[in-house]
Amino acid sequence: MFSFALKNILFYKGRSITTFILTFVSAMLFVVFVSWQDGSHNSMLENSLKIYTGAIEIYHKEYRDVGGNEYLIRDAKTITDKLSRISGVEAFSPRYETYGLLSSKDYSSASMIAGIEPNKEKLLSSIALSLRDGKFLDENSGNCLYMGDKLVKKLRLSIDDEVSFVGGASDDSFAADIFKLCGIFKTGSFEFDSTVSFVNRSYFDELMYAANKASYITVKVKDLDDVDRVNSEITKALNDENLESLTWKSLMKTMVEAMEVDNVFGYISLSLFLVVIFFVIMIYGFINVSSRIKEFGVLRCIGLSRQKIFSLLFYEIFILSSAAFIIAVPLASYICYYYSINPIVIDGIAEMYKDYGIVSDEIPFDFNMWTISWNIGVIYLLNSLSILYPYVYINSFEPIEASRHV
Amino acid sequence: MYKLILKMAWKNTFTRPARTLLVIIMIAVSMSMMLAIQGLYDGMVKSMIEKNKRSASGDISIYAKDYRLEKDIKYSIKDAAKIKEDIQKLDGVKAVVLRVMADGLLSTARKSSFASIHGIDLKEEERFGSFSEFLKEGKISFKKRGSVIGIELAKTLKVRIGSKLIFSTQDSSGEINSIALKVRGIIQTTNIVLDSNAIFMDITSLHKFLGTPPRDATQIAIMGENQKLLHILKSNYQNLDVKSFLELQPMIKQMQEMMVIFNSITFLIVMSVVFIGIFGVVYVSILDRIREFGIVLGIGMQYKYIRAQIFLESVIVGVFGYVGGALLGLILLIYLRDYGLDLSSFSDALEMWGYEAVIKGTIKVSYFTTTFGAIISASVLSVLIPIRKIKKLNPIEVIRAEK
Repeated sequence: MFSFALKNILFYKGRSITTFILTFVSAMLFVVFVSWQDGSHNSMLENSLKIYTGAIEIYHKEYRDVGGNEYLIRDAKTITDKLSRISGVEAFSPRYETYGLLSSKDYSSASMIAGIEPNKEKLLSSIALSLRDGKFLDENSGNCLYMGDKLVKKLRLSIDDEVSFVGGASDDSFAADIFKLCGIFKTGSFEFDSTVSFVNRSYFDELMYAANKASYITVKVKDLDDVDRVNSEITKALNDENLESLTWKSLMKTMVEAMEVDNVFGYISLSLFLVVIFFVIMIYGFINVSSRIKEFGVLRCIGLSRQKIFSLLFYEIFILSSAAFIIAVPLASYICYYYSINPIVIDGIAEMYKDYGIVSDEIPFDFNMWTISWNIGVIYLLNSLSILYPYVYINSFEPIEASRHV
Repeated sequence: MYKLILKMAWKNTFTRPARTLLVIIMIAVSMSMMLAIQGLYDGMVKSMIEKNKRSASGDISIYAKDYRLEKDIKYSIKDAAKIKEDIQKLDGVKAVVLRVMADGLLSTARKSSFASIHGIDLKEEERFGSFSEFLKEGKISFKKRGSVIGIELAKTLKVRIGSKLIFSTQDSSGEINSIALKVRGIIQTTNIVLDSNAIFMDITSLHKFLGTPPRDATQIAIMGENQKLLHILKSNYQNLDVKSFLELQPMIKQMQEMMVIFNSITFLIVMSVVFIGIFGVVYVSILDRIREFGIVLGIGMQYKYIRAQIFLESVIVGVFGYVGGALLGLILLIYLRDYGLDLSSFSDALEMWGYEAVIKGTIKVSYFTTTFGAIISASVLSVLIPIRKIKKLNPIEVIRAEK
């Protein structure tokens, strides 16, 4: 049947060339589109994770939903001791976050001020690498403030300027101090850079009466793909119903959901092309079999079963699809691979979409052989489905009737 | 003669009904899908533009020079009330509102967040952009220090109707000042900045709180779609920053442009594939009847009549496909316009991006006219090559040839 199918393909050149070209186009379109879509989503997530959000964060239950000082973690050291014994954990650090008003000589602005452990933070996030002016914090930074560049601009500050802070301490008392601007960072995230400042934790703990307390503990894992396993180990090790350990999938649920929506719209658009191409392949297949009714009638008369006729049609579409994929897959894979390491750059896109959390002008593609495989699988499936109607049409003729067909 | 040709074209079109029907279904399905996608995407952008205009910038907005850069009440428009009165007298102006805005810290007893407070006049906002239509929960009222808060900000602070809030900011004298407010309503404007950052209160009370002159404002928003109006305002108020909606929202402008490019590319690709489909069927149909054409040419029928017949056959298929696609597309578009695409399970994400959970489509006559032109063109172009084949025919050879 296979060689018979091969002969038919070579004989009916028009149909073969059209099916080949359309399959090639749909495979290229599908693979490149999905790679671009996945790549841009992964990049958004990675950028967000790199900047500040941890792969895993441990909270007191209710802190995220209700908030307030009574839901701070009270004994951070006990938890961090347990974390140090978990194999998949690369680094961790308790963070204390509060909101307050920062004022320069003439200007004031609201800011989130986070008490961090500078040396550990270097391992956990990219805020140290985002330094633009001055210096990053260290263990002896004292009242040094490390501030986002947009906030610095808003308060009209320069390095070494004094900044007053007014806020609430962890025991609900009033807290106020004078900080000194030591460093300025720029992560690229508009919201982050215009609202966040950092202080060395040991200094901040005294001011906020927050020793051994934490808003949450951030955890970096050795392998991001292993995050669920590490998280369940952490939950087991904590063994405390008042604590919750959440992975980035829960922490960035809205962003993950937003990407799913974007995927939905992407696939809706793509389905239009695939449906049209499916129809054309089916029409060419149908035209082809309707000109071979007599041939199929003779084949049936000499004893070929309906199943064999189906196999013949299936082999024809399989060979044509495979031939198209032999060229399309390496080419599409190369495009995906090339743009995954050399992302497309659209100048100004990050500035334009800053409210949507876009921090980079680069749009990398995703090179993933599994994704490419299922994309090709879908096209195979669609092409296989396209022979169903032609097959039903042939079988609507009795063998004798078909063999006399003109 | 042409009546006979039309009759023959009609009969030939349906000689092989399954084949013809497949092409008609292909055109109808692809066209209806294309119309629905176009309507849905246009609807998304249209809704975003309309709600952004109604909730924030109007068709034109005026700010003091440097305000948009500095976002500071020091850069307010002096005697904005007088400017408003003058603008209202201009031709093409539908509504004008004054607004005061200040950035600060919004806190509950448990949580805090960055926020911008907007002082507005509810009656005027109602005339300007039907402000009450944005209400999601509670009521629109500023009585007894009442306020209305954006849906995303309400989620961040975990506030409900009746919750108490403290807003702290720097007043006009440079002092840190705080005001206690009560949440009366939660609104969703689908303007991402307002939904995630804004709290609204009475403009007069906000002037008092900030210590700013009651006739000043940080923004004058104008409704009135008129390029001439923009030109007049720009020349009348050269000392102020007069901006059109799209100048203030470059992202939406870019989204519109991207949508046009996307729709055009989609259109081109789909029509090219449709062209290939029609071409295949017409070509095979001609090959099937090559002896027939040889005979009619042999008995003296002029080539131009055969050409007309083939054109007609292709156009009949195109028109049937178009009518099917237009009907199916119209049903889909009406459904999307009236009921929309319900994506409530992704509501958090959509709200974060400034879209509603139910995305409604829009219907434009141009969808149907453009598609009609494209399908008829594809039908006509697809017969050019088959017709050339007939033109080159030698009737005697064709009649003698084995089928």
